[in-house]
Amino acid sequence: MPQNLLEIRNLEPDQINALIELGRDFKKRVRADEAVPNLSKKVVGMLFFENSTRTRVSFEQAAFYLGMRSSNFATSASSMSKGETLKDTILTLRHERLDALVMRHKSSGAPGLAAKHFGGPVVNAGDGQHEHPTQALADAVTILERKGRIEGLKVAIVGDVKHSRVARSNGWLLEKLGAEVRFVGPRTLLPSQTASLPGGFYDDLDEGLEDVDVVICLRLQKERMEQGMIGSVGEYAHMYQINAERLRVADAGCIVMHPGPINRGVEIDDPTADGERSAITAQVENGVFVRMASFYWCFGGAA
Amino acid sequence: MRTLLRNGRIIDPSQGLDTIGSVLIEDDQIIEIGEIGDLSDIDEVYDCTDFWITPGLVDMHVHLREPGQEHKETIQTGTQAAAAGGYTTICCMPNTNPPLDNPAIIDFILDKSASPEAGGVFVAPVGALTKGLKGLELSNLGAMKRAGIVAASDEGFPVQNSQLMTDAMEFCVQLGLPIMAHCDDASLSEGGVMNDGAVSAMLGLKGTPRTAEEIATMRNCLLSLHTGCPVHIMRVSTWGAVEIIRLMKSLGAPVTCEICPMHFTFTEDHIGDFDTKFKMQPPLRTKVDIELLEQALQDGTIDCIASDHSPHASHEVDVPFDEAPFGASTIEATLAVTLTNLTHTGILTPLETVNKLSTMPAQILHLDAGTLVPGETPVAQLTVIDPNLEWKFDRNKSFSKSKNAPFHNMSFKGKAVLTFCGGEIYRDQRFPSERYAIYM
Repeated sequence: MPQNLLEIRNLEPDQINALIELGRDFKKRVRADEAVPNLSKKVVGMLFFENSTRTRVSFEQAAFYLGMRSSNFATSASSMSKGETLKDTILTLRHERLDALVMRHKSSGAPGLAAKHFGGPVVNAGDGQHEHPTQALADAVTILERKGRIEGLKVAIVGDVKHSRVARSNGWLLEKLGAEVRFVGPRTLLPSQTASLPGGFYDDLDEGLEDVDVVICLRLQKERMEQGMIGSVGEYAHMYQINAERLRVADAGCIVMHPGPINRGVEIDDPTADGERSAITAQVENGVFVRMASFYWCFGGAA
Repeated sequence: MRTLLRNGRIIDPSQGLDTIGSVLIEDDQIIEIGEIGDLSDIDEVYDCTDFWITPGLVDMHVHLREPGQEHKETIQTGTQAAAAGGYTTICCMPNTNPPLDNPAIIDFILDKSASPEAGGVFVAPVGALTKGLKGLELSNLGAMKRAGIVAASDEGFPVQNSQLMTDAMEFCVQLGLPIMAHCDDASLSEGGVMNDGAVSAMLGLKGTPRTAEEIATMRNCLLSLHTGCPVHIMRVSTWGAVEIIRLMKSLGAPVTCEICPMHFTFTEDHIGDFDTKFKMQPPLRTKVDIELLEQALQDGTIDCIASDHSPHASHEVDVPFDEAPFGASTIEATLAVTLTNLTHTGILTPLETVNKLSTMPAQILHLDAGTLVPGETPVAQLTVIDPNLEWKFDRNKSFSKSKNAPFHNMSFKGKAVLTFCGGEIYRDQRFPSERYAIYM
């Protein structure tokens, strides 16, 4: 039964575990040059209304490994820029017989609207400030590889939580799988009300990092500074940068992650980004395999 | 021509009247209410047993969209929808294209709404407070007053500059023109698409904080107190705004306010998975707000209920949430929502209900409406309500062009079944035919 992958929030833990296990299995098989399912009759549209080379390439690689054909839409040159509505664009792609869509959009909830009109599987590749489910899945696989479990871990998600789709998807996923989630950042970059979100909220980095097993840094957007939400990059780095000194309060085996692209010297310093604690490149690689899992799952290939 | 509305429950807050009786109309005028003595030469009779007979409902906050956005609504479809909702007088907002900011366009509205093709209700235009709704300089309010506006407002583009708002109030006092104020501090609400709260945090949508409404409410109330200008606060949505209005009324500020049915029916949770039918300005708030807004309706702090009928075309709302326009199509459901959620639940008595839907809005804007006193209005304006009729609102059967109706498919108890404005302008198909007789 085809299904959409729009958000982690509405997935059951067993569905999340199935996706993670599929991703790990695909990783093992691809690395061993073993066969993976063949979806060669499927064509997937890559509909990126926001630029994101790394996520798009990751989905393309995933499609390639499964034998699918991917079709790119340069949305800046598309009919959308001529005033066509999202609904009509989606209806057109549906009747051009695309089998699935991968969609990134600046508006929270837009992939859900697309799914309503497309009628086939839609994978959310990041919508506004809402969710980025495959990034959270990649992070989960990475944590499992490095820590052996998720349940019972303490995970700090540090930075611009308010505007981060990565923070939301990771928060939901980690909480559903039994981790203790801590969102850490300046109050201007934390949601004003947090009752509906998983985890605890900290404006003090030392408190937030105490005894944590995993730190996930979030990218700081320049526009937040322009909006006056923080005084300066320097101030942010001074208060919230992840580095060896700040990690002294964390668990000795704490790993550090970042969804990229990194502002080196801002969210994280060089030695930490490139050091032993860093799992950043593993996250990138695992992204390909969880996206394979997502395609396979969306086409009904798993529970 | 003599028409008799027989044996109904006459509810007229303008006279403090809640009694069983009849209403006699002769040549478009109410000539007698209560126990009718002379029943000779009756041409038509409506049996109103178990129904309410009330002054025609008055909606002080309606968007007719014409001129400029006729794909959403026209004066014709909007007034027909109003009649079906039980209204006999409606105030149309100035945010048309071009805006209602000069006498010629006021003439256009009045002419078109009075045409035989229109719905038969009186349309009382609200003029733009500033030219082009730009918040930079005052409109020609004197000329527009002479042309027929009943209030001035920049509606959803509220004046941000406090000096300009002071000047506007001073000038409107001189003209005897009330100001209708949508209260919003744009520096706080910019980019916001729903209530800033637990749900916006979860959905990743930019929130509008309640303080945006409350700061502007406080400012407008203070300026009203300072200038003496009657200010009507539109669509209150937060408990804080209500507390401010309560305080400022107690200090003597000539302020009044309205609530819209969405804000006492729905909360931010209704947005669910980004449902644009629930995108409002101000946004839907929380259960706590609703509870305190209900108290304010009871104690009279909230004076009126207005529909804020904001029709939009389907293609405009079938878009990502943050791209959708604010507002909903509500005019045909407002009475039923009020009866179901406020009257039948005991929050408002029938007399208070009719007061907030008819008499108070008429008094606040000095309209010839809101009363059944013979000769008080140019023509008879009255609404017959079946308070116990159980029905379901179906947007596809609506007279409005717009189908962005959050009340679609909801079940209600109570409905306007007959609307009179001079003559019969709407009779619901559920009005039993055996209750209507012609003797001509």
